[in-house]
Amino acid sequence: MNNRFTRRQSLKLLGASVAASLLPSLPLFGQSMAALSAGEHSQNTSSDGLYQKRYGKSDKTLPVIGMGTWRTFNVGRDPQLLNARMEVVRAFFQLGGGLIDSSPMYGSAPDVMGYALQQLGIPSRLFSAEKVWSPAGGSTREQVDDLQSRWKVPQFDLVQVHNLTDWREHLAELRDMKAEGKIGYIGITTSHGRRHREIEQIMAAGDIDFVQLTYNITQRRAESRLLPLAEEQGIAVIANRPYNGGSLIKALKRRGETLPEWAQAECGCTTWADFLLKYIVSHPGITCVIPATTQLEHLQENMRAGHHPMPSASNRQRMVRYIESL
Amino acid sequence: MNGGASYQLQDFIPFTIEIYVRLLERLNETLWPLHLITLTLGMAVVWLALTNRTRLACLFIAPIWTFVAVAFFMQHYAELNWAGGYIGYVFFAQAMLLLVISLSGKGIHTMPQQKPAVFLGGVDKVAVLIGIAIALAGLIALPLLAPLTTGASWQQAEVFGIHADPTAITTLGLLLIMLRGWVLWLSMIIPACWLLISALTLWALDASGAIALIAIQATGLIGLMAASAPKRKYFIKS
Repeated sequence: MNNRFTRRQSLKLLGASVAASLLPSLPLFGQSMAALSAGEHSQNTSSDGLYQKRYGKSDKTLPVIGMGTWRTFNVGRDPQLLNARMEVVRAFFQLGGGLIDSSPMYGSAPDVMGYALQQLGIPSRLFSAEKVWSPAGGSTREQVDDLQSRWKVPQFDLVQVHNLTDWREHLAELRDMKAEGKIGYIGITTSHGRRHREIEQIMAAGDIDFVQLTYNITQRRAESRLLPLAEEQGIAVIANRPYNGGSLIKALKRRGETLPEWAQAECGCTTWADFLLKYIVSHPGITCVIPATTQLEHLQENMRAGHHPMPSASNRQRMVRYIESL
Repeated sequence: MNGGASYQLQDFIPFTIEIYVRLLERLNETLWPLHLITLTLGMAVVWLALTNRTRLACLFIAPIWTFVAVAFFMQHYAELNWAGGYIGYVFFAQAMLLLVISLSGKGIHTMPQQKPAVFLGGVDKVAVLIGIAIALAGLIALPLLAPLTTGASWQQAEVFGIHADPTAITTLGLLLIMLRGWVLWLSMIIPACWLLISALTLWALDASGAIALIAIQATGLIGLMAASAPKRKYFIKS
């Protein structure tokens, strides 16, 4: 056997050695480390590169970037805006999105979803999340039936109790509907950091699949108790108000703040949307985030944030310090 | 940088500025050329008010308020905001109030046989002049505001008798010209409340029109104070 290296083999070996020595500083390496630090057990990546997380106690996964419809999808019967929103939904699915969240409190948003799904067909990746809300009128079952006909879907994947309104009555009914196979999962929602103690009690009882709450880089109250409890109980968490109602990202842009270099180099952030959303979805307790938008450009920005690399635990702390320093 | 967790004004507005502007546009698309009639009617009502034909003026504005209640609030605004239908009923109540004033003659400032309101003296003249300015702002300035100041399309122009804001503004001015006493205060409540709601909505949506509405409200308040100041007795039937 000839053990001598040919010139080609020598060059390959040299190249591999150089690559190996550079590896820790490459974003790709940071990405795999970040993935581990962000809760490897419940994550993977879909064919379109969008980061996925397992939800609840199942093996099913959801893309980490979902879409909210509060304010943005309440367009009434305006044909121009109905078609514009349909294009947003189309792009959302084309870019790998799954979960869309709405509520009877959001005006015509459920009807607008129905219009979009009627035009586009119901994609297999749709994970429809709705809510029941006492002021909307009717019993839990009547509301779910009505909302399904407005969305034009045969069945919702998830029905949540909006802002804990009459949650005991609604949850009891939703549990029965889930047992009957009429809905996939059940959950509760809150926002603005309200009623966390009550949320905690419901989560501790362990018979809900999802909880939706406000979590973003400036509102991190859920980190102390609710997110660890969700991990412990196997409850999926949907983060709402990722941009604090838009004010967070608007303020950053208005002030002309530029992204720190390390955020780009180590976390792959190219926009503030990347920075703010990656911070949220890299928390191991968060399943997905639901930014709302009317513009395709912003949607694309949001969806890009669901791609690797994700910030490591230390980078997440650095992100918080950076925002707090502004 | 601190996000704060409390509710903000915008958390209570269930639509974006883009959606609200499209609502204004859609009304224009649907109702054109009715605008020509409502604007002509508005100018005629100002002339009636200035020539002391107050009962006739109130009679003409009442159906305008009913039309805005139905076309603006119940048929369009209610699609975006569940409260829209209720606000429509409130606008209808204002129409009824104007009708009652027209039929009963209560609170009417001057009578046709007197000299026109604009020639009155003292603080009354201040109230009347402010009323004229506000009425003309609603009829002429507001439709021009968005197209001329922000470069918005003419299709986004808000017009008296079609949209809520110019209808409320013009009426506010007319009331300052025509009415006095508790009837003036009573009849100003609904237009003033709507303008406050609208100003807060536009403020929350980062729209420039909010400042204009607040300025008009403040001017109207000065006019109301002037109209309510002690003065020599005019012919007030109450």
